Amino acid sequence: MSAELKEPVYLEEKLKDIQDSGRLDFRSGSLPTWCPGCGYYSMTEGVTNSLNELGLKNENVVCVSGIGCASRFPFFVDVYGFHTLHGRTLPVATGIKTANDDLTVVVVGGDGDGFAIGGGHIPHAAKRNVDITYLLFDNGIYGLTKGQTSPTSSQGFKTSTTPYENREQPLKPLMMVLSYGASWVGQAYAGHQHHLADMIKQAIAHRGFSYLHILSPCVTFDKTNMTYQNMSMAVRPLPEDHDTSSQMAAMREATKTDAPGLGVLFREDRPTLGDNLDAIARSAGADIKPGTAQAAE
Amino acid sequence: MTINGTDLQIAFCGSAGDGTIAVGDILKQAMAMAGYRVIAFDQYPAEIRGFGKCVSRTRVTGEQVYSMKQQTDILVSLDDSHAIPHASEVRDFGAVIYDNAPMSLMAEGEHISGHLQPGQIPYALPIREISERATGSNRGRNMVALGFVAGLYGLQQDVFHTIIARKFKTKPAAVTTDNTAAFDAGFDLGAGEFLFDEISIGEPPAKAKHEARMLSGNSAVVEGCLDAGIEAYFGYPITPATTIMERLVSEMPKRGKRALQTEDEISAIAATIGAGYAGVRSATATSGPGLALMAEMLGLSVMAEVPAVIFVSQRGGPSTGMPTKTEQSDLNLAVFGGSGDAQRIVLAPTNVEGCWRCAGKAFEMAERYQTPVIVLLDLYLSNRYETVVVSPDEQFEPNMSKPMVKGKADEKYQRFATTDDGISPRAIPGQLGGIHTVTGLEHNDMGRPSDQPNIHMDMSEKRHNKLAKAIDHPGITITKRFGDEGDVDVGILAWGSTFGESLEAMMLAREEGIKCAAMKVVMMSPLPEQPITDFMDSASEVLIPELNYEGQFAGIVSGTLGRPVNRLNMVPGTPMRVDDILAEIRKLAGRDKRDAA
Repeated sequence: MSAELKEPVYLEEKLKDIQDSGRLDFRSGSLPTWCPGCGYYSMTEGVTNSLNELGLKNENVVCVSGIGCASRFPFFVDVYGFHTLHGRTLPVATGIKTANDDLTVVVVGGDGDGFAIGGGHIPHAAKRNVDITYLLFDNGIYGLTKGQTSPTSSQGFKTSTTPYENREQPLKPLMMVLSYGASWVGQAYAGHQHHLADMIKQAIAHRGFSYLHILSPCVTFDKTNMTYQNMSMAVRPLPEDHDTSSQMAAMREATKTDAPGLGVLFREDRPTLGDNLDAIARSAGADIKPGTAQAAE
Repeated sequence: MTINGTDLQIAFCGSAGDGTIAVGDILKQAMAMAGYRVIAFDQYPAEIRGFGKCVSRTRVTGEQVYSMKQQTDILVSLDDSHAIPHASEVRDFGAVIYDNAPMSLMAEGEHISGHLQPGQIPYALPIREISERATGSNRGRNMVALGFVAGLYGLQQDVFHTIIARKFKTKPAAVTTDNTAAFDAGFDLGAGEFLFDEISIGEPPAKAKHEARMLSGNSAVVEGCLDAGIEAYFGYPITPATTIMERLVSEMPKRGKRALQTEDEISAIAATIGAGYAGVRSATATSGPGLALMAEMLGLSVMAEVPAVIFVSQRGGPSTGMPTKTEQSDLNLAVFGGSGDAQRIVLAPTNVEGCWRCAGKAFEMAERYQTPVIVLLDLYLSNRYETVVVSPDEQFEPNMSKPMVKGKADEKYQRFATTDDGISPRAIPGQLGGIHTVTGLEHNDMGRPSDQPNIHMDMSEKRHNKLAKAIDHPGITITKRFGDEGDVDVGILAWGSTFGESLEAMMLAREEGIKCAAMKVVMMSPLPEQPITDFMDSASEVLIPELNYEGQFAGIVSGTLGRPVNRLNMVPGTPMRVDDILAEIRKLAGRDKRDAA
């Protein structure tokens, strides 16, 4: 039994608290269209909270998406948005960031968009260290096209395009991205919303290419594999003594896909694409000062 | 055709390693410096290093012309086995210059002297011997031959000295000394030789008002980009467009601009569109296979109404095709490529100066009409050199964007608002009050996805109609008629590099008394229907010569305007021959029988 009675909570006051907190400042007028229970709601909450807490101005943020369930996201946030083509988020984001370093660019996509059709772009965005944040929502299924196998679908998974079961081995995105040279790599789980929000904030704050792998159950088309029940049992925090500066330690954690470790796996500071392009311009004789972005007119 | 007393075409033939291309380069630079107009086209093999056959042709004239001549005036052989096939292109009383190596050392038929036509004037010189005497090595053979040509035809010796010194300025001083010595030895010999030729070079034309620059089509594109204030470039190497990127990645950083080699053509155009969305002038360059990869992204640029400039240098196709051969077979892809109704602007320059102008105008148009603009070149135009004279008064508009105007505070910005001219005011990221999302989905005036019938119909119309304004875009001639005015027997409608040969053929036909006119079409999409219709109305027969198999432009013209046209299609991988066009003109004018008789 609770020992003492608390003050009553009134809905109007609660609403006012939320509004005053600025958490809704980055929400657009459009309401998300995802299925009830979808992990992407956590993303919306996490991204809008992070942008608010980082003190960014709405007009200085660009959200880029491809095709897939996650890709409707730009319409639900009150920032500049570019809903591009299937798999082509990273090169478009690279173009935006090259044109204007002052913009904060957040890329949102799913496992099919990122690791199937768009798989060729991730290594290059990572090696160039484009100063963007890549939020990859991995649900192991194609949701928007109603339940086909994806590059991260588990073995044995029966989908509409693998009616006799998926016999291919799923990709291990974290291992790939680490070896590509991403300068910030983390993992989160849509079922742990507050942790996810904190990770998104760290990823956006990182200067360089940050990759956040978000395990996000599809409640509609996956009733057997990556469900909330299964994932909640499987995930664990990364060990407290995990060394985020060690690529080898990160790689070891990345192999443990049966018990995904949540947290920052790896981070390093190195020159971004913008830094390098400015350095090239300086060596060509242009008058560009170190650390200043190419100004937007 | 002789203009201002000067019209001389010189061809050097040799193996890779003979310095064939090098002497051709010195010749054209020297002639340009002397004040003549020059057009030059080198052909060399695809092999990176080998014993392939090189031909370097240079035509020197008093006024700028836009094609090579069918017949060469002077042929210089640095390697007989490669020069023999070209012996027949030398005109009567034209000079053939070759090494008088003892024939006993060669197999029968290997010496060029056995392949000359009656009437061609042979100049058999001890080229190797002169080179060895002048420089102690046989490596100056090409310079001896060049010097001989210059001496024989009375070209200015000092201009060549300047160009030779400039060409080798990064090499040890001995290189310049040796090359100059070899040149002078050849020059002295040529100057003492009797010139049988009826043509001698005239005085250079009166000094032009503005400085003439020697540019290739691709370097003119680069100059156009820089003059138009390009801010970002993204590209992936592909022949014959690579030199555009190579020059931009070198020139742009000097101006504090950014150029990046991407992982493929899809990311090149994706980043170009991304940068365009962020509000800067951006471009990419590719060839046909790259454009095929870019087709989906072109649709995004159309749908999201984001500016993008794409330079395409065509080569032989389909698939990998013939990477080092010229063709005009990507017109359909440029005009129609992609899913859905994706109208875009396509410009096809006809000469090197046009490459510069179309490049700059492409940025203006992409920005103004919020659309992809393709500038379509071909290998022949990309790689050939011309003297270009542009008035410094001719400049590109630095900003043609239709910007968002700040409305009332409670008014939500409509990115795709319907307006009188079909162009919606554009906000760019970073601008307060302009927040919006663009999408490849069909959308309403706010940019929100919608598949309502009336919205898709209205938006399709908006995207289509706004491009019609481009036909009247200032500062660019999108069609132009040459030759006879009024009604003509034959009207040639030509585009791209083939226009140069068409113009030459048209002028020759007029000399034969055929009433003839030629129209160049620079804007391939949207098609300037009125001037083309007027031109076709004035001609009894319309001829469309183009370097593709089915007649792609002929298909567009006859399909759009519903009129019959005569096609002349060839895919030899080399520029169209003036003779072939002329033969077709005669046939259409009913003159072929007379010629046969």
